[in-house]
Amino acid sequence: MRRLVMPSIIVLSLVCLATAPFIGMQSLSLADIADEGSGGRILRELRIPRALLGWTTGATLSLCGMVFQALFRNSLASPDMLGVSTGAAFGAVVSIRYGLSFTLFGLLSSLSACSFLGAMAAVATICAAWRLRGGGISEGTLLLSGVAVSFLFSSLNMILQYGGGYVDTFRMMRWSMGGIQTVGFSSLGAAVPAMLLILFMAAAFSRELDLMVCGEEIAMSRGVQVERVRWLLFLAVSLSVGMNVAVCGPIGFVGLVAPHICRSLVGADHARLCVASLFFGGGFLVLCDTAARTLWAPAEIPVGVLTSCIGSAFFLWLLIARGRRNDRWR
Amino acid sequence: MTPLLEARSVGLSVSGSVILEDVSLSVGRGEFVAVIGPNGAGKSSLLKCLGGLVRPTSGEVLLEGRPLGRLSGRDIARKIAWIPQTGTDMLPFAVRDFVALSRYAWRQPFGGESRSDREIVDEALHLTEMSGLAERRMFSLSGGERQRALLAAALAQTSEMLFLDEPATSLDYRSQAEAAALVDRVNRERGISVVMVTHDVNPALRSADRVFALKGGILAHSGEARLFADTSLLRELFGTEFLALDGEGARAPYIAPRSMVG
Repeated sequence: MRRLVMPSIIVLSLVCLATAPFIGMQSLSLADIADEGSGGRILRELRIPRALLGWTTGATLSLCGMVFQALFRNSLASPDMLGVSTGAAFGAVVSIRYGLSFTLFGLLSSLSACSFLGAMAAVATICAAWRLRGGGISEGTLLLSGVAVSFLFSSLNMILQYGGGYVDTFRMMRWSMGGIQTVGFSSLGAAVPAMLLILFMAAAFSRELDLMVCGEEIAMSRGVQVERVRWLLFLAVSLSVGMNVAVCGPIGFVGLVAPHICRSLVGADHARLCVASLFFGGGFLVLCDTAARTLWAPAEIPVGVLTSCIGSAFFLWLLIARGRRNDRWR
Repeated sequence: MTPLLEARSVGLSVSGSVILEDVSLSVGRGEFVAVIGPNGAGKSSLLKCLGGLVRPTSGEVLLEGRPLGRLSGRDIARKIAWIPQTGTDMLPFAVRDFVALSRYAWRQPFGGESRSDREIVDEALHLTEMSGLAERRMFSLSGGERQRALLAAALAQTSEMLFLDEPATSLDYRSQAEAAALVDRVNRERGISVVMVTHDVNPALRSADRVFALKGGILAHSGEARLFADTSLLRELFGTEFLALDGEGARAPYIAPRSMVG
């Protein structure tokens, strides 16, 4: 049975990705791909890019969540729970509001760069709290500092939005709800590198992540350079989240839910968990986005709103269930 | 000949308060050394300094004559294996996977588990009688089993020294005896040096070649283990009265606090 788990995750995820473009208000079939009419254009320019962007985003967030959960040794830690996504969103809103436009190293747009800086600011705040308590921060304190960071950045966001003009404000607000509407493949240009970055880092450091779950002392005594690994991974997560948020806005709870479910499916070994989180996260978000497009058709709700609904229920359930069993990693 | 591990007037202060002061000691190849002292004497901190987990604020620690500060985490881990005091009760890994993680220092980046890695892990599991429990998750083990798993993990690190921090804490008599016997065996048969930190003088008397006694962060006494069967020395060290009970055929007397014996 256990042997079938991983292939099932991969296959189901790819099935989600492959079928999602054909589901929607206007139902389309494989034959429409080559169609020169509106059906083919919808498929080629809207539906397929959107499914790919959703998959990439889900995979990125899920991997970032997995890395955070290992670094903080806490299955409730994820970039959105700790305010990193909100920080990134703030960075992006700053860049929208002030119309910044530049390109770093020919790769990072001003939006990505600002999101990254915002994400880093949030990570730095959390880490400062974590370090001030000598790494022995309790779960409650960790999550509460995440809440505080979230509030801080969303209030800053609101200040900026409040002061903006009509068009800017709408853009910022709509964007901060998180969605993966896209036209054409250009947005994948930032989303795919973000995914590859965190995938590479998580795979390269999978042993270190395993050991860090065992605690700092064990990790160090087995030869892991804990400080260095931690900073490298924080940086990678911030960069990935930042680049992704710049494209899709903050999409909540995928990073919490996906790795958690994966861990219960394939176990705690990070080499396997990487693969599972990648595919599960991708498929999960495509599924959510397809639901968000079709449930209230012809209206379309932003997928970020939907994942937050699902995710917060899941989160509450986790809190209650874990409280009963008094464990953190099972 | 340079000792395997040497501390030269190691001092440690954390945010103004002095934890260790001017501690010098050495551990030879194959030697069994115990560090004893009351709670808060700085024993665990000393062990962390010796193992490179904490950098001393003064003095230095030499591993085979080379300062720890200049060695990488992997270099140290190839020489020193560590059995921690706590924190392993919630681990989600299967015993075998946990033990295999100890091969980290010997692995190549991106390298998988080699055949020799697997043999070493199997042997460590066999020696600690954990082969039958290899697929069990760490959190589902009893205290005694977990201690054996930790020992297996330490052995799988194939290092020349074993660090034990309060190995007997919260184990029942039989598990304590089994764990102690395993450590003694590893020390005798494989010539692995042992540094054991404990607040209980008995395991030190039974197994150690030499004992270092810490009090208030300072090395109060050091010498051959049998010297520490002296109850007046122990009274000075722990601040309570002791009785030395001689048992038939015992290697060393059993030391009990007088108030506990009645």
